[in-house]
Amino acid sequence: MTRTPKHSVRLVLAASTALMLPALAAAQEVTIVREVDSNNYDPHRSTARAAAEVLFMLGDTLVSLEPDMQTLSDGLAHSWEVSDDGLIYTFHLKEGVTFCDGKPLTADDVVWSLSRWVDPETSSPVAWRAGDVVEIRAVDDLTVEYELSAPFSELLYQLTQSFGTIFDRDSAEALGEDFGINGFNGTGPFCWVDWAPRDRMVIERNPNYTWGPSFHDNQGPAHLERITWQIVPEESTRTVALITGQSQITQYVPAIAIEQLRATPTVEVVQSDEAFWTYFMGFKVDKDVVADPVVRQAMNLAVDQEAMAEDLFFGMVEPAFSYISQAALDWNPDLDDRLLRHDVDLANRMLDEAGWERGSDGVRARDGLELRPLAYVFAGSTWAKIAEAVQADLLQIGVGMEIQAFDATVAWSRLATQEFDMFGMSFPYISAGDALNLYFRSENTPTPNRMNWIDQMTDDLLQAGKTATDDGTRASSYGEVLEIVHDAAVWIPLYHEPMFIAHTTAMAPVVPHNIYGAGLYKGLDLRFND
Amino acid sequence: MSTTAEIDTAALAPRRRAWWQLLLADRAAALGLLILALIVLGAALAPLIAPHNPYASSRAVMLPPVWEARGTWTHILGTDGQGRDMLSRILYGTRTTLIIGVVAVLVGGIFGSLLGLLSAFYKRIDPYVMRLVDMMLSFPAILLGLALVAVFGPGVVPVIVALAIATIPDCARIARSIAVSVMEQEFIEAGRAVGLSDRALFTRYLMRNCVSSIMIFISLRFGQVILIGAALSFLGLGARPPAAELGMMAAQGRDFLLFAPHIAVIPSVAIFVIVLCANIVGDALRDVLDPRLRG
Repeated sequence: MTRTPKHSVRLVLAASTALMLPALAAAQEVTIVREVDSNNYDPHRSTARAAAEVLFMLGDTLVSLEPDMQTLSDGLAHSWEVSDDGLIYTFHLKEGVTFCDGKPLTADDVVWSLSRWVDPETSSPVAWRAGDVVEIRAVDDLTVEYELSAPFSELLYQLTQSFGTIFDRDSAEALGEDFGINGFNGTGPFCWVDWAPRDRMVIERNPNYTWGPSFHDNQGPAHLERITWQIVPEESTRTVALITGQSQITQYVPAIAIEQLRATPTVEVVQSDEAFWTYFMGFKVDKDVVADPVVRQAMNLAVDQEAMAEDLFFGMVEPAFSYISQAALDWNPDLDDRLLRHDVDLANRMLDEAGWERGSDGVRARDGLELRPLAYVFAGSTWAKIAEAVQADLLQIGVGMEIQAFDATVAWSRLATQEFDMFGMSFPYISAGDALNLYFRSENTPTPNRMNWIDQMTDDLLQAGKTATDDGTRASSYGEVLEIVHDAAVWIPLYHEPMFIAHTTAMAPVVPHNIYGAGLYKGLDLRFND
Repeated sequence: MSTTAEIDTAALAPRRRAWWQLLLADRAAALGLLILALIVLGAALAPLIAPHNPYASSRAVMLPPVWEARGTWTHILGTDGQGRDMLSRILYGTRTTLIIGVVAVLVGGIFGSLLGLLSAFYKRIDPYVMRLVDMMLSFPAILLGLALVAVFGPGVVPVIVALAIATIPDCARIARSIAVSVMEQEFIEAGRAVGLSDRALFTRYLMRNCVSSIMIFISLRFGQVILIGAALSFLGLGARPPAAELGMMAAQGRDFLLFAPHIAVIPSVAIFVIVLCANIVGDALRDVLDPRLRG
C-alpha cells in the first residue's frame, strides 16, 4: 500500500501535535522540591508540615485564613454565626461543591470529617485543636452546627488548619487504613494522583473547582495542571534544582543559599514574617539524666543561639531564647529579662555546685549517673547541623549528648516512644495558646507532649486560657504557663525561622501564606508568566 | 604437575630476601607504600599531631584551606560547617576509617579463610559450607550494613560486623580453591600415610601452604572494604557525631558543596588516596609473592 502525499502531511502534523502536546502540558506543571515527606496524608493522623502542605491543596476547610494570618475568610462555608455564649457555631455551606470524584458535598460529609477528628477512636494527636466538642450535626444539607461544652476563642482559627480538612466519607471508609496513604477524595483545587513515600506526591488540577476562598485572585480552577512534590533531602541539590529549573518553586532553600539565590537572575526570593516557626530541643523531664532542673538550665546556658543563627544559618534566622516568639500574641513580657542566655561559666558553676563532677573524658557524672543524654532528631541536613552544634556547645559544660537521627517516615513514631532523653522539633503557631496547648497538656503525652510534662497547674491554666472569653484572662493564663515552663527549662529554644519561598522568574510573583508553615497554601494563584 | 608446594619449599628460601627488594623495585608500589605508611603514621599519631581539637567547634565556619584567598595557617585545610579544624578531623577520621577497614578485613579474612580451608580439608562439609557461602555472596555489603544498623543502631561496630561478614564469602571461596589444589598434593597423602593427626596436617601442611596466597587476596580486598565502609558512613550508618570518619565527613560536606567545596572534597580525596595506594600495593604484593605469576 502506498501513501498519498496528503496522508504524509497529516501524519507529520499529527506527529508534531503529539510532540507539542507534552511540551504545552509541561508548561502548566511544576515540581516543588522539599526536604522530608510525611508519614501519611490523613489530616487527623499527621502533624507534619509536609502533610499540611499537600492537604491544603487536596481539600478545603470550613473557614480559611488570609495571608496576613489574622483575617478569617470563607472556605467551604460562605458564612457563619456564633451564639452569644460562644458555644454554638453555625456554618452555612457553599452550594455546588463537589469532591474530586464528582460526588456533591453535603453537610453529612462535613459532620463526619470533623467528628472523626475528635473521635477518641481516631486518637488524633491534634484533637484538642477542635475544642471541647459536644456534638457536630447537620441541620440540613447545607447547614452545620458545631456545639462546644466550653467556649474556645481559637476555634475558627483552628478550623482553618489542615486538620479541619473536609473529605468524602464513603471513600475514606472504603480506604480504611489506607486513607491518606493510597488515596484521598477531597474538595480541593487539586486531586490525589499518586504517592510514592519518600519520593514524590503527584496531584492534579480539579477542573470543576470554583469555590476557593474569596481572598484569592483566582476564583476558578487552579492555573497549574499538575504539581509534583518531590523529596530531595540534600540542600545543595534542592538549590541546584531551582537554579537549573528542574524545580520551579520551593520553600526548602538552605539559609546559606538565600543570598546567592537573590543574586541569581532567574530566581526570585520572597519572605514572610507573618507567622512563627520555632526550632527547639526538648527534654523528657522524667528521665534520670535530665530530671534535675539545674542540668536543664545549665544546658540552656551552654547553647549559643546567636552563634548558631549567625554561623549555621548566616543570619537568616532569629536566635530564640523564648519558647515562642516574643512577638506572638499573649507572650508574657515579664519573662523578657529572665530568659536564659549564653553563659558557659555560669552553667559550669551551676553544675559544679549541684555536684556533677567531670570524669576523665570530661563528661560529668553524679552518683554514677553520667550526663550522656540521648537525643532523637530528624535525619536531614537541618537537624544534622543543629544537633551537632548543640552537641559541641554542651560538651563545653561536660554534657556528652548522643545523637540519633531518623528518617522522617520513622522519626514520628520513634518520637512517640519513651526511648530518648532529648528530642529536636520545630513547630508553627500564631499565638501562645496555639503553641502551649499543643505541647504542654498532660493528655498530649507521649506525643506531642514528648517532655512528659504532667502538671495539674499547667493543665488548669491552659484550660482557663483556652475557654477564656476576654483577652485579659487569656493572656494572663497563658502568661503564667509560659513562666512555669520557662522556669522549669523544659526546652532549649534554638531559633525562630521566617519563611522564604524561592521561585523561578518563569512563575508569577508568589504571595507566601504561612499557615502551618505550608507557604503555598491552596496553590490557586500559582501560575506561570504569560 | 607444577605445584605451589614444590616451588614454595624449593625456591622460597633463597628468594626470601629478594621479596622486599622486588616490591620496592616497583616504583608505583614503593610510592604507594610510602604514602600509605605516612597516612597510617598520621592516623596513629593523630592525638599528638592534630593542631586542634577535632570536636571543638568555633565561630570560624567554612574557612577555606590555606592555598585559597581567605585561608589561614591556623587552619591549614580550613574548617567545616561547624567551625572545626579540617586537618585535625581528617587525621582522626582517617584513624576511624582505617580501624574499620583493618579490623573488618582481618576478622572477615580469618573467618573466611578458616571456613574455606576446613571446607577443602573435610570434604563432607564442603557442599554445605559452599552453599552457605553462596547465600552470603548474594547479600550486598551495603544492604547487610543497613540491616545490621536497623537492628543495632548506627555505630562503628555494626559497620565492622557488616564489612567482616561481607568479606567472609569471597575469602572462603579463594581459600577453598587454593586449599583444594594443595590437598591433591602427595605430601598430604604422605602425611596421612604416616598417621599425622588431622590437626597437624591442617595447620602444618595445609595452612602454611595457603597462607601467602590468602594474604595477597586479603590485601587486595582491603581497599574495597575501606570504600564500602566509607560508603556506609556516608549514608549515616557508621560513626556517630561528633566522631570523625572520612565517609561521614564527605556526607556532611555535601550541604556546602556550592559554597565551601573543600569540606566534602578533602575527605573524598583522602578516601581516594588510601584506596588507590592500598590497591597498588596489593597488586604489587601479588606480583611479587604469587608463585604462579612469578613463573
